[in-house]
Amino acid sequence: MIYLDHNATTPARPEVVEAMARAAVDFPGNPSSVHGWGRRARDAVERARAAVAAFLGVRSEEIVFTSGGTEGDNLAIRGLWDGALSRGRRHLIASPLEHPAVRGAIDAIGDRGGVTIGGGANGAAGSLVPEVTWLPVSARGELAEDDLAAALRDDTALVTLALANHELGNRYPLARFASLSRARGALVHTDAVQAAGKVPLNLSDLGVDAATISAHKLGGPQGVGAVFLRRGLDLPPLLRGGHQERERRPGTENVAGIVGFGLACQMAGASLRPVDDSGLPNRMDRMEALRRALLGHLRAVPGVRLLGADAGNWTTAPAPAPATDDAAAERERRLPGTVMVAFPGAPGQLVTIGLDLEGIAVSTGAACSSGSLEPSPVLRALGLSAEQAAEGIRISMGWTTTARDIARLGEVLPGVVARVRAASHDGQAATAELGAPDVTPARPAAAMSLAVATRSGS
Amino acid sequence: MKRERIVVAMSGGVDSSTAAALLLDAGHEVVGVTLKLTNATGTAASIGGRCCGPRDIEDARATAALLGFPHYVLDESAAFQRAVIDDFVAEHAAGRTPNPCVRCNEKLKFGPLLRFARAVGARRLATGHYARLVHQPAARNDETAPAPFLMRARDREKDQSYFLFGVPPTLFADVTFPLGEQTKDQVRAMARRFALPNADKPDSQELCFIPDGDHKAFVESHGGAGRTGEIVDERGALLGAHAGTHRFTVGQRRGVPVADGSRRFVLRIEAATGKVVVGPRESLGRHHLTVSDLRWTSGRAPQTWPLRCAVQIRHHAAAAPAWVSAPEDSSCAVALDSAAVGVAPGQAAVFYDGDRVVGGGWIAA
Repeated sequence: MIYLDHNATTPARPEVVEAMARAAVDFPGNPSSVHGWGRRARDAVERARAAVAAFLGVRSEEIVFTSGGTEGDNLAIRGLWDGALSRGRRHLIASPLEHPAVRGAIDAIGDRGGVTIGGGANGAAGSLVPEVTWLPVSARGELAEDDLAAALRDDTALVTLALANHELGNRYPLARFASLSRARGALVHTDAVQAAGKVPLNLSDLGVDAATISAHKLGGPQGVGAVFLRRGLDLPPLLRGGHQERERRPGTENVAGIVGFGLACQMAGASLRPVDDSGLPNRMDRMEALRRALLGHLRAVPGVRLLGADAGNWTTAPAPAPATDDAAAERERRLPGTVMVAFPGAPGQLVTIGLDLEGIAVSTGAACSSGSLEPSPVLRALGLSAEQAAEGIRISMGWTTTARDIARLGEVLPGVVARVRAASHDGQAATAELGAPDVTPARPAAAMSLAVATRSGS
Repeated sequence: MKRERIVVAMSGGVDSSTAAALLLDAGHEVVGVTLKLTNATGTAASIGGRCCGPRDIEDARATAALLGFPHYVLDESAAFQRAVIDDFVAEHAAGRTPNPCVRCNEKLKFGPLLRFARAVGARRLATGHYARLVHQPAARNDETAPAPFLMRARDREKDQSYFLFGVPPTLFADVTFPLGEQTKDQVRAMARRFALPNADKPDSQELCFIPDGDHKAFVESHGGAGRTGEIVDERGALLGAHAGTHRFTVGQRRGVPVADGSRRFVLRIEAATGKVVVGPRESLGRHHLTVSDLRWTSGRAPQTWPLRCAVQIRHHAAAAPAWVSAPEDSSCAVALDSAAVGVAPGQAAVFYDGDRVVGGGWIAA
């Protein structure tokens, strides 16, 4: 089995699994208990909190443990919105590229006029439905600073923009977005779920007020995550009935999960240093090299389109030393291990299934939206038609990925795509679309044989 | 036998699950697929249902997981809405009695399923239908084999060939019905032997998109209510009023006023005027009907006319001996040897030669 869906979940590191199993045995107590069992469990949670905080470049008391990204986005966005409402602000800025958890949290505010907290401004605030500005998006999935500046208002309560997009792998200049926004008195939340563990991260330097991360995207277990909340900000809880996490997230802590999360953050941090602990090239360099190898294979498929920040940039030369300005700029534009492509004429769902039957796991987009008929809102936001958006395939690499995995995908993919194209379309439709590829097929012979295959399949 | 990759269409019921188990047992590489046809997620109605609702998708998934083969869901709910539900409502609005299961097979199921099979590199598609396909050898100098014969299932009680007559015959070339030679009892016994989770799941009785069985309410809520109007007898005498022609079907007794202490049945529905004509049971009998939108299951029309065959006018009716006249404009006259009751416009009329489906069409009048 070859796993190339690390943006959905990256397998927990073996060391993490081991630490969790040990924690379940060693720390059986409830962290809130006063006895020795409780104190030991509390200590394990707090050490993990320190590790998560160090990884994010923030203070321990700024970390709230949650059940993961979706809860984190809901807690942060709905909670910060609530606080801002009481200051008379009712405008919110987001982008159409945000993860379903962010969109869902914004919808929840719209449904209810904010999270109702005991007797606050909201109790009587039924009419305080938020005004949401959705920023314009370029065909490559970029957001412009000017558009944010134009959208900001005196009553903007909250700006929520992802640090990196879950489907495209685009990165966004959150530091500049945050300074613009905060200058207008708006709070800034970022969904950092996909960026954390993939690129170096320092939330203090970034200047955001809140951020969401999730353990299972960076080598930890599913079901654990954290919200960073800048000191001094209030966060009303979504759940009621306990004092845990400083009243911000009631419920007995997931001790073993949190321990695993802490270790995963340490390991992720180490893997992003210039030379990692085992003396290997750092994670970004490895992913960059794998990505270039992957692009080499992808461009052998006729008509393939690369989507996102690097659309059309098929550089497959060996990864440059990150010292050059161009290479550094390129790395600022996107995550190194995420590639979104489309094979016109081949529905992404069928390509994904075809690869699955060959033992290769990729996805059509966010796992949270797959299985539904609606094509990816992210790809629609790039201006693609519903049919084009349904052709997107996300290949996301991670710590388990090897050059052999990529080579195997390269072997299998052209055949799978050709078969899906032949089955899905009358020959003319598929070949007509192939007439305008964004890349010249590397092997013209392959293109010719495909054209024959699609015709005979009609 | 040669091991091959076969796609099995799984409805979540015991039949298609057993079909999958049989093919797996025979050594094939099985790929399960379920069409999602309705969007009842999160409603109470999603618990029951006939096939392809959320509960049934979960049953199909559980069966695949138990037997250890991959299973996927294809969302065809938009196409189902257009091809089946809209048609169902429009037919009711026009005073006819539609058969959505025939429509679904004809217009919807087999196309996407066969496309899926080809896309994943499977040569054949299997379904849990009770029917048989007899593949014909290719004529010399002809590379493509003729369309297979569609035959009744061994189990006459469960036979579903009536539902399948409208499927474009060329699509059957790559289809197999593993249950065609089995009886329902044998299938349940096999399902228990394979320990399938749905071995004792009751047979579905209702339409998948109307799990509560209330067709009247469904048609009304989808804008298909027929005209209100008069209930009259055969001579045109007024017997009462009714709340919409979609509430009636030919042969129905419910909702029909009793006159002179004798039972009366719906004989005819006149959608344009809203008139529902009723009469005694004797008047229900029909010798002649017109069948339109004809198709021939072997792929070509019979050569000799009039055609002697047996005509089945409803799923549960017996096929009755008849003469079928030569078609004109894809429509023909059928003369039954003895009168049939319950000839309802909108239902399928399927022509059989013994067990073999010759063709059929839709009852126009």
